Amino acid sequence: MSEFKPRILVFSTDNVSDPGIDLAGRNKMHYPASVFVVSLPCSSGVKPRWIVRAIDRGFDGVFIAADGSDCSLVPDCTRRTAATVAAAQALLKERSLEPARVKMAAVCSVCAESFQKHMAAFSEALRKLGPSQRGPAGSVAGRG
Amino acid sequence: MDYDVMVVGAGIAGMEAAVSLGDMGYRVLLVEKEPSIGGKMILLSKVFPTLDCASCISTPKMAQAASHANIDLRVFSEVREVRRDGAGGFRVRVARKPAFVDFAKCTGCQDCEKACTVTVPDEYNENLVSRRVAHIAFPQAVPKKAVLDRAGTSPCTFACPAGIKANGYISLIRQGEFERAFQLVLDDAPLVGTLGRACYAPCQRECTREEIGEAPHIRHLKRFVADWYYERHPEPEYGAPEKRLDKRVAIVGSGPAGLSAAYFLARRGYPVTVFEADPEPGGMLRSSLPDYRLPKEVVDRDIRNVTALGVEIRVNAPVDSLAGLREQGFAAVLAAIGTPKPKKLLVPGEELEGVVSGIEFLAEVLCGQKLDLAGKRVAVIGGGNVAIDAARTALRLGAAEVVLQYRRSRAEMPASPEELAAAEAEGVELSLLSNPVAFEGEAGRLRRVRSVRMKPAEAGADGRRRTVPVAGSEAAEAFDLAVVAIGLSAEAAALRRDLPLARDGSIQADPCTLQADRPWLFAAGDAVTGPAMIVQAMGLGKRAAFHMDRWLRGEALDGAEFEPRLPVVDKDEVLARQTEYPARSVTKGERLPQERIKDFDEVELPFSADEAVASAANCLNCGICSECRECQRVCPADAIDFDQRERIDEYAVSSVVVATGFRLFPAELMETFGYGKYPNVITAMQMDRLVAPTRPYNYVLRPGDGKAPANIAYVFCTGSRDRTKNNPICSRVCCMYSLKQAQLLLGALPVADVTIYHIDIRAFGKGYDEFFEQTKAMGVRFVKGKVARISEAGNGNLKVRYEDIDAGGAVQEAEHDLVVLSVGIVAHDECRGLFADAELQLDETLFVAQPGKQVDPARTSIPGVFSAGTATGPLDIPDSILSAGAAAAQAAAYIERMKRKP
Repeated sequence: MSEFKPRILVFSTDNVSDPGIDLAGRNKMHYPASVFVVSLPCSSGVKPRWIVRAIDRGFDGVFIAADGSDCSLVPDCTRRTAATVAAAQALLKERSLEPARVKMAAVCSVCAESFQKHMAAFSEALRKLGPSQRGPAGSVAGRG
Repeated sequence: MDYDVMVVGAGIAGMEAAVSLGDMGYRVLLVEKEPSIGGKMILLSKVFPTLDCASCISTPKMAQAASHANIDLRVFSEVREVRRDGAGGFRVRVARKPAFVDFAKCTGCQDCEKACTVTVPDEYNENLVSRRVAHIAFPQAVPKKAVLDRAGTSPCTFACPAGIKANGYISLIRQGEFERAFQLVLDDAPLVGTLGRACYAPCQRECTREEIGEAPHIRHLKRFVADWYYERHPEPEYGAPEKRLDKRVAIVGSGPAGLSAAYFLARRGYPVTVFEADPEPGGMLRSSLPDYRLPKEVVDRDIRNVTALGVEIRVNAPVDSLAGLREQGFAAVLAAIGTPKPKKLLVPGEELEGVVSGIEFLAEVLCGQKLDLAGKRVAVIGGGNVAIDAARTALRLGAAEVVLQYRRSRAEMPASPEELAAAEAEGVELSLLSNPVAFEGEAGRLRRVRSVRMKPAEAGADGRRRTVPVAGSEAAEAFDLAVVAIGLSAEAAALRRDLPLARDGSIQADPCTLQADRPWLFAAGDAVTGPAMIVQAMGLGKRAAFHMDRWLRGEALDGAEFEPRLPVVDKDEVLARQTEYPARSVTKGERLPQERIKDFDEVELPFSADEAVASAANCLNCGICSECRECQRVCPADAIDFDQRERIDEYAVSSVVVATGFRLFPAELMETFGYGKYPNVITAMQMDRLVAPTRPYNYVLRPGDGKAPANIAYVFCTGSRDRTKNNPICSRVCCMYSLKQAQLLLGALPVADVTIYHIDIRAFGKGYDEFFEQTKAMGVRFVKGKVARISEAGNGNLKVRYEDIDAGGAVQEAEHDLVVLSVGIVAHDECRGLFADAELQLDETLFVAQPGKQVDPARTSIPGVFSAGTATGPLDIPDSILSAGAAAAQAAAYIERMKRKP
């Protein structure tokens, strides 16, 4: 059996964390190929059920690259995003999944290195937790 | 009022002023000339003295300015004029520069950037690296939209009568994209192989690179891609278009004009029938272009590009009535009947056996008639390309001697100079300024040509110099064959009852739409223009197809712009842009003259793939964008729009904030410092890029050889506090940014030595002096002394000659492996010309003057116009932001006063 490579979904933001993540790519900084990035205007717009759905559909963890205090859209972006994360974690618990599968951190527009470190650490943490889908192997292969 | 305020410039000060005013509830128009907002700050590494990341703290401000409900942002736009409205407000004209990208559709995916085939210096990385022509300014750009750099149409492309994008296919060949290069030509002209061999290449004559070193062999490159493609694709890859229209089109004549029109009409879905009088299609391509220039297999394959679209070509089908075709149910008819009728000299003896016309002679040979001219003397009369073809053909048929007789001088010969040179190399003799007056024969057969010498006379009505006979110079010379190739004319006599003809027999059609006097009838090619180049006929065929399609769809023909193009690029601008020329010499191979005259095989030898790429690499990309259209092909959002043009919008605004920022002193003006000459002398802005998180090499390297520098010098006050450079003022930020860089360098290159040559250190702001002390404590060496000269030592190292003030003023020399010039700040005086009816006063250093600097800092000489940031003089970032706040407050007060005015 091949080594378990955690699949990570990243929510990033158009103007702040996206350029930072982009920069990691431009500078050819390595992070796992099983990281998928979806960008949206503001991290506070992520819904808890999206996170649960991502896990249901075969992702092993969800990372929110938040704007933090850099958010230009809502002044309390960090509080709102944190509430989203807490709600998603509660939903996961109900399904007997580890809350540690959801993580958020501020990633700035040039935080390529910090993003790379976050991905390495999160990937390692998820590897220890094991796959999110405990059902028959391959049942969600190719999804996401 | 459309807006309460217009803010000009979206650097840190402009953004701050706009956001402040927007937050107060005012409607703001924010105009930025670059594709992204953020100004210079977003490109910096860190800010002093806190060493915060410049980009991390500017992106939120950029996002805020871009997404603010009260701010309308116009990037890549320039304010062209500000005029007072007489009531305290202003009328402004804002030009949206063409980005050739529809910003509403662009998603910022950068696929265009990856596909783009032309690289240019990256100004956002201070030209340390290159970027693509289709590009997003930098990773943090807001808005994240692609822009294409286009200086205009490249001269080669502009010269092509068929609109073939020569620069574009050259660029694709340079990338090794041979199939794409072929497709790009095919988009504009179906007969790619023919043009690659027999085109007289007006593009080549316009090539800027011809003026400096070796130009790409443009036509030969086209032949290369045609051969490459045809070898892999013996048949076209496409069939008839799915969309089939019901209106049928008839085309009379299957020469280049007719085939081209058929191709473009069929691509639009029209069922097209081509009528050809000869047994095989191709017109002159088949009947008068010798095989050594254009093998007929190539013509056959080219024609299949047309027939694959479902075009029916009826051969042996002469048409004697165009109206008759209309009656047969063709909705529109194109007359592309060429100029098949040879002109006559009208001298005695022209009817003799042994006197033939050029195209009859060529057609006989091409039809396979075996002519043996072994040992014969042949006179060819004429100076055009048909004459040259006839002369070279006669040589190949074994003629002992071939004389090309022309009544004017060599310079006036209409033949292509390359063809003439090839003919001479093969042994064709020239008899210039000589004209036949009679053909003399015996028993009905030519024996002699009697000629007279000619001499130049004054210009005739057509501007060409005439020649007149020299009295008493007549002489006869023995010839076995005389080929008269002095021109061709249309043979439209049979069609005379359908359409009016010009006196020379050509068809009269509107020069723009090519519509004849019957609305359903169009005409193209030599029949309209008189004998012209293949590529010209193909261009006219395409033009006719465009207008026929419009007419058939019931659209107006007037005002429809056929193939809009940008103005041609100025060659001097192109040459001024170059810093060095990659000189790869690639010779176009040819068979030796003594070998090639033995048969009709091709004279030119094909390029190998390597030669093609090397020849293409000599292109200078005059238009910057080559128009290879790869971006358009790959864009998933269909956002690329080559037809976008500048648009001017007018707005009424109550007030204006000028936040146009500064320029860095151009370091090349310090002649003794060698900037631009020595690669390891860089500016501090370049160093800021090298240490920025978005840095180009992801490491601190010196540009000359990529070595990590170990011994770096800073030269302070480069271009500031310098009366010799007309910039006597202190730029305020250079000391501090250099100290900042020194600290960052010690972090990035722990073993490096940093030496700072200064007059004095000005660390006047909050926390600045502490920062200076800290820099000293970290081990940076400070030398008090003005640098006089920098010269190159070996290994790219630099010798810095300076006056060592602390050592009693002795002149010293020190060696460093990288020198950073701490360049000063100078004014952007672009805002000066903006105001049409009031003078925006500038101070003596050309910054915006502040008449009430002490108490009213943002006021300018024009009521209602305020200044923010470095438009008024050098400021650091915190002071810029403070001044933007002041400008916002003063503008708000002005707007309120205007509102309350009765």
